[in-house]
Amino acid sequence: MASRVPVLVRHNLILVAREPGPMISRIVMPIVIMLVLRPLYTSALGGQARGTGQVVVGVLVMFSLLGMSVVGNAVLTERAWHTLERLRASPANPAELLLGKAVPVLVLVLAQQVVILGVGIGVLGLPVPDPGLLALSVLSWAVALLCCGGAVATLVRSHAELSAAVDIGAALCTVLAGALVPLSAMPAWSRHLAPASPGYWAMRGLRGALAGQRAVALSSAGVLTGVAVLGAAVAGFRLAHGWGRSRTL
Amino acid sequence: MLVATDLIKRYGSHVALDGFSLTVAAGEIVGLVGHNGAGKSTFVGIVAGLLRPDAGQVTVAGLAPRRARQRIGLAPQELALYQSATVRENLRLFAGLAGLCRAAARRAVAGTADELALTDLLDRPVALLSGGQQRRVQAATALVHTPDLLLLDEPTVGADPVTRRALLQAIARRAAAGAAICYTTHYLPELADLGATLAVAAGGRVIARGTQADLLARLPAEVRAGFGDGTERVVRTHEPARALAELLADLPQRHAGLRAVQISEPSLDDLYDALAVRDG
Repeated sequence: MASRVPVLVRHNLILVAREPGPMISRIVMPIVIMLVLRPLYTSALGGQARGTGQVVVGVLVMFSLLGMSVVGNAVLTERAWHTLERLRASPANPAELLLGKAVPVLVLVLAQQVVILGVGIGVLGLPVPDPGLLALSVLSWAVALLCCGGAVATLVRSHAELSAAVDIGAALCTVLAGALVPLSAMPAWSRHLAPASPGYWAMRGLRGALAGQRAVALSSAGVLTGVAVLGAAVAGFRLAHGWGRSRTL
Repeated sequence: MLVATDLIKRYGSHVALDGFSLTVAAGEIVGLVGHNGAGKSTFVGIVAGLLRPDAGQVTVAGLAPRRARQRIGLAPQELALYQSATVRENLRLFAGLAGLCRAAARRAVAGTADELALTDLLDRPVALLSGGQQRRVQAATALVHTPDLLLLDEPTVGADPVTRRALLQAIARRAAAGAAICYTTHYLPELADLGATLAVAAGGRVIARGTQADLLARLPAEVRAGFGDGTERVVRTHEPARALAELLADLPQRHAGLRAVQISEPSLDDLYDALAVRDG
């Protein structure tokens, strides 16, 4: 296994590098939006620290949800190019194939979050009391995104459907997560629905990590891990039941 | 090298393979022919380890297909290449997956590219290549790790004559080097060029197997004689010389002279049609 995973990782990194546009836009746009909207948030939330925390974490969650399209495309192109069957016929086993595909995409999702947080911390002065806790929150959110992106990619039939699913899903999850407007300012009914959004648990975990609230960060990471397991189960089921042989694309 | 015995594969109520048996020895090229739906691609899928048979056994070098993947090279019917990657990157991937180290993979990529006239295209993205060039790249991904068994599922579909010639030469070389080759096609003259033995599939099983000469000997030749009065006599026979002699002996009884005589030996297409029609 040791020799085939690096082969697959390197190959998949090459594929991602050939289409850098979507990922670059999902890293540059949030930085611009953070810098532009920060004064508005600090003014509206009545404090520099609160406003900065809201804009950095909110924008991170929103754009990482939109970044699921990168995850989905990485999976969907294997079907569009009929390469999944070739890989299945190769000596690589399913675990190697999964790792080889997941690692580069996970690196991208993590890179996006690290850059956004880096700007928040380095440029906007966001305090980080417990870097380890923040790293755990970022990692759990990245894995959840990876698995959910994989699940969505195996449920849709085309790139157009993927685009629609990610756009609508990301918008809904972002709003329900309180990423654009703090939950406290949202209608009561939406606050009841909020926990249904994985973004809510990402916001909660990241905020908890930035506030040094260990229990909040850990419980949120636990929920996100559950979301990741569910997403992986859906993707695994679809992959094992003829998804790669579909002729829809 | 490849031994498949009494394979059965069903998709719901449809029986794709119904007692399919085939052996391919090392160094042998077997042309697997048959109409669409005869079970050829299902058989290839099972040997490649992509499908599980419902019954029957298949081994490659004595191993179950899933355990023998390193020794199998597969070129599926459909083009299956990473379009945004270059030819070199595609070949390097499949060489690496087969377990070749970097240096060995580099050598194998260069050697295979040379074999299939791809050297000048190595650093071009596959998406920018013509259909024929992509066919060669697809075949190269199957050949790059020098497998013991090559499964080539209609590798020349849509290929131009240059591509077809390059592929056939590469296949013949690999067979000469000891690889077992299972080659499915609808282009029967290719099999004659390769000197392949034939397996004719119909209804999910192999209905005829043997050398081309053996199988062709089962069919009658056609002796066609045209006469001066515009009439024609056609005789199908296993002994064309004798039939011709009889025709000539009959000439005095006819009031018109002999205008033309044509003796047609059976072709692979005739064999294929005869066997498939008889079975169907």
